[in-house]
Amino acid sequence: MTALRDTREIIRDEPLMHRPILEALAAGPRTIPEIAEALGRPAHEVVYWVMGMRRYGFVVESPEADDEGFFHYGRKDAR
Amino acid sequence: MNYDVMVVGGGIGGMESSLKLGDMGYKVLLVEKEPSVGGRMILLSKVFPTLDCASCISGPKMSSTMNHPNVTVASSSEVLAIHPRPDGGFAATVNHHATYVDWAACTGCQECEPVCPVAVPDQFNADLVPRRAVYLSFPQAVPKKVVIERAGTSPCSGECPAGIKAHGYVALAREGRYEEGFQLVLEATPLVGTLGRACYAPCEDGCTRSSVEGSVPIRAIKRFLADRHYAEHDTAGVVVPEPNGRSVAVVGSGPAGLTAAWQLARRGYAVTIFEADDEPGGFLRYALPTYRLPREVVERDIQNVRDLGVTILTGARVEDPVELTGRGFDGVVVATGTPVATPMAIPGEEAAGVASGLAFLRDIRLGRADALAGERVVVVGGGNVAMDAARSAARLGASHVTVVYRRGREEMPAHVDEIEGAEADGVELRHLLAPSEVLVDDEGRVRGLRCVAMRLGEPDASGRRRPEPVLGAEEVVAADRVIAAIGLSPDADALAGALATARGRLVADPLTLQTSFPTVFAAGDVVAGASDITRAAGAGRRAALNLDRYLNGEELGGVDALDGRLPSVEPAAVLARQKSLTEHPRVERGRAEEAAGFREVERTLSEDEVRAGASACLDCGVCSECGSCARACPADAIDFTQRDRVEEVRVGAVVLSTGFTLFPADLKPEYGWGVFPNVITGMQMDRLIAPTRPFNTILRPSDGRVPERIGYVSCTGSRDHTVGNPRCSKICCMYSIKQNQLIMGTLPLADVTMHYIDIRAAGKRYEEFYQQSRDMGAQYIKGRVASITETPEHNLVVRYEDIEHGGAITEAEYDLVVLAVGVMPNPAAAHLFPDHVLELDEAAFVLEPHGDLQPGRTNIPGVYVAGAASGPKDIVDSIAHAGAAVSGVAAYLEAHHAVAAPVLEEVGR
Repeated sequence: MTALRDTREIIRDEPLMHRPILEALAAGPRTIPEIAEALGRPAHEVVYWVMGMRRYGFVVESPEADDEGFFHYGRKDAR
Repeated sequence: MNYDVMVVGGGIGGMESSLKLGDMGYKVLLVEKEPSVGGRMILLSKVFPTLDCASCISGPKMSSTMNHPNVTVASSSEVLAIHPRPDGGFAATVNHHATYVDWAACTGCQECEPVCPVAVPDQFNADLVPRRAVYLSFPQAVPKKVVIERAGTSPCSGECPAGIKAHGYVALAREGRYEEGFQLVLEATPLVGTLGRACYAPCEDGCTRSSVEGSVPIRAIKRFLADRHYAEHDTAGVVVPEPNGRSVAVVGSGPAGLTAAWQLARRGYAVTIFEADDEPGGFLRYALPTYRLPREVVERDIQNVRDLGVTILTGARVEDPVELTGRGFDGVVVATGTPVATPMAIPGEEAAGVASGLAFLRDIRLGRADALAGERVVVVGGGNVAMDAARSAARLGASHVTVVYRRGREEMPAHVDEIEGAEADGVELRHLLAPSEVLVDDEGRVRGLRCVAMRLGEPDASGRRRPEPVLGAEEVVAADRVIAAIGLSPDADALAGALATARGRLVADPLTLQTSFPTVFAAGDVVAGASDITRAAGAGRRAALNLDRYLNGEELGGVDALDGRLPSVEPAAVLARQKSLTEHPRVERGRAEEAAGFREVERTLSEDEVRAGASACLDCGVCSECGSCARACPADAIDFTQRDRVEEVRVGAVVLSTGFTLFPADLKPEYGWGVFPNVITGMQMDRLIAPTRPFNTILRPSDGRVPERIGYVSCTGSRDHTVGNPRCSKICCMYSIKQNQLIMGTLPLADVTMHYIDIRAAGKRYEEFYQQSRDMGAQYIKGRVASITETPEHNLVVRYEDIEHGGAITEAEYDLVVLAVGVMPNPAAAHLFPDHVLELDEAAFVLEPHGDLQPGRTNIPGVYVAGAASGPKDIVDSIAHAGAAVSGVAAYLEAHHAVAAPVLEEVGR
């Protein structure tokens, strides 16, 4: 079991992660685990960052979840 | 102003109390600590048992409260103290927190939010998602106004003597907004490249990270911003302002003069710089060695000033600055620095091999220094000029360089970086030695420096221990050259005009820098004595702003960027915000691969290094003062000059509606909240279900997957002696049942299971509501949960007692577990009465001594309690309880006629 980083610390990284996440989405929408793998960062941290980016209009989710229960998040300007 | 009643807390109990009292005709002051009224109810998804939309019920009540003619809402405000008065009324002290936004202008458009580079947990979304330092509490906020969260000035910004918003440009760099960061530094000074290299970085000394693994590389980030801008742009990129029709002269073109010229030119003045030397820059060009500050960097910084149309006249010595005012200049800033080296005043000083540090460094910059191959050089002095001279001598090939200094290492005024740099360059430091004679040979060449051994006595006026000679203890240090760098002073000849002087320096008001001649201001070392580049730049800024004020007929005084900063945040307070802090890989200042000779020692950080270094920033002050919000605001509503305002208010009665807190789930470590991402609280689930949810739907925080199996653990932190809370929280069963129904509506394929002790559904239609959820398919298992563990897939294994099946210890696996956390007292109310004890019950809720017969009445006459401040209540009960409290208030007011004459005292803070 790996201790989670403090929430404040994870969230503080959100502006820093905009660019790498948008770069990871350059080829098309991805799920949270796919983004996490591309970044080499824990998926639960990516959830914070992607949801922050979604809130401020940088990314947008697919209309439906896929068969595995994952939504795909893409760059808002790409839609 | 005067109020019949003060209501403390703007949740459902407080709003209901205020509205009812207002309807009765009483004047009400409602004080709410958050920017919006609404309390917890507005954050809920729906309410039980009707499943009405919480916003739809709460919203109109919030609006009515805000607009009621008899109710005054003071949001973002806190009651500090309430003192009962002999007439039965109360005197209350209310602190109106600065929001740093002009709410009269703010339209709530939120254009400011996306550009803010500081992300913090959104407390209104139960920390599930980031918000910005500038934020609207939630979409339905009333009033719909944004606020800026400021804990104070970030220490890095607070330490900068030039008032540069260090936190601001670090936050912008973290996001890759390098040009904005460069422009932010330009607001203070044109010397971005210079300060990125040669500043001694007091910002880094103040950095909270210094107490962890080491400072954020703040100065190196500034250097990167400058180098990137200069590589990509030919000009400063600043809009040249419209001329204001006035002209000013600046005498001297060192850091103070250039900064003063820059500030004045940005205000529309026609600026002429008079520089006595052949080229502008002062010490930047002629004293700082190129291994610290290359010539081309100085040129680009000076070009910034020229880009604004500033005229620089070189070889233009000014004998009398006052005389310039008679030549058409409306004002003058004198910034001639300290160009005169202090002599050692010892025998032999006139020998050919003796030079001042300044002259030595100047010769190097002009390319006329002698090679020192094989020579022994002794540098006298312990300041930065001495270190520069010693390190330069080493670079010129000296066989041995010795620095002699009359005090100890701790007393050396040179910056520690320079001292360590000198040692790294092979310079020998000799302490407690004072020169007494330069020894020369028969041909007049220097052969040594006779020194007297010193010891340290009591501290002198500078605070450093005074050096005292040790009688009879002398030593000769062998030398072929002696460089004296023991002090600097202004040019006395240049100060021979009409301006007042003292101790060889110009006299100027320390706050305004106005000299004895009203339109002449003075800045930098010519006033303060030798200091450093950044202080000089700050002084230039101060002088320029006050000259501008003077010429516009405004009152002179301090400078907001220098004197009006909020107190710096204490590092301990910053570190206390987090339960844990991860050490960050430290980004060191880069050392150039080819640092030989006079090539730069440091290199510019790479972009990756800059972003990694900036990401270590802890956002100490929360808001970084980058100013992005102000630039984005279409209503010009951002106001960083706002400050808290303390008000004394007299009221006839008080209603406490301070609500409740929620049990901190991490106090049940066996349930794994804060350790397992997919263990959340009931409040977090309510946010996930709400229409204004932080995610796009209900998702697992571990990976963003839609959960299929959701488990509830009731009585988390209530009915639990192990955490000291044996009480039932009353609402947990019902809000869990509500959520079960809503989850099944949102995720029709999801299985929902609740582990419970008892289902407490005591309320009108509550039992039916519970049965309805069972009918919808929710599973209910009677028995307490012992522990929760996590699988590698971040699923959760709940170990529980299955009472209805023989009490077997059983395990079940879920995708997501919700802890139905209990209700805890809010300790805030107990501290409001310094003169009286507000009695609390055994759980620390506000006590109603006769709650059965006189609900809402506390032990203090005239003080009433409404809602969950007196114990766990659902919304229906809170409203009913508020009604009871209000009737007591009305009776009290009518009986005591406690309303006093209108009084309002602002004491300010």
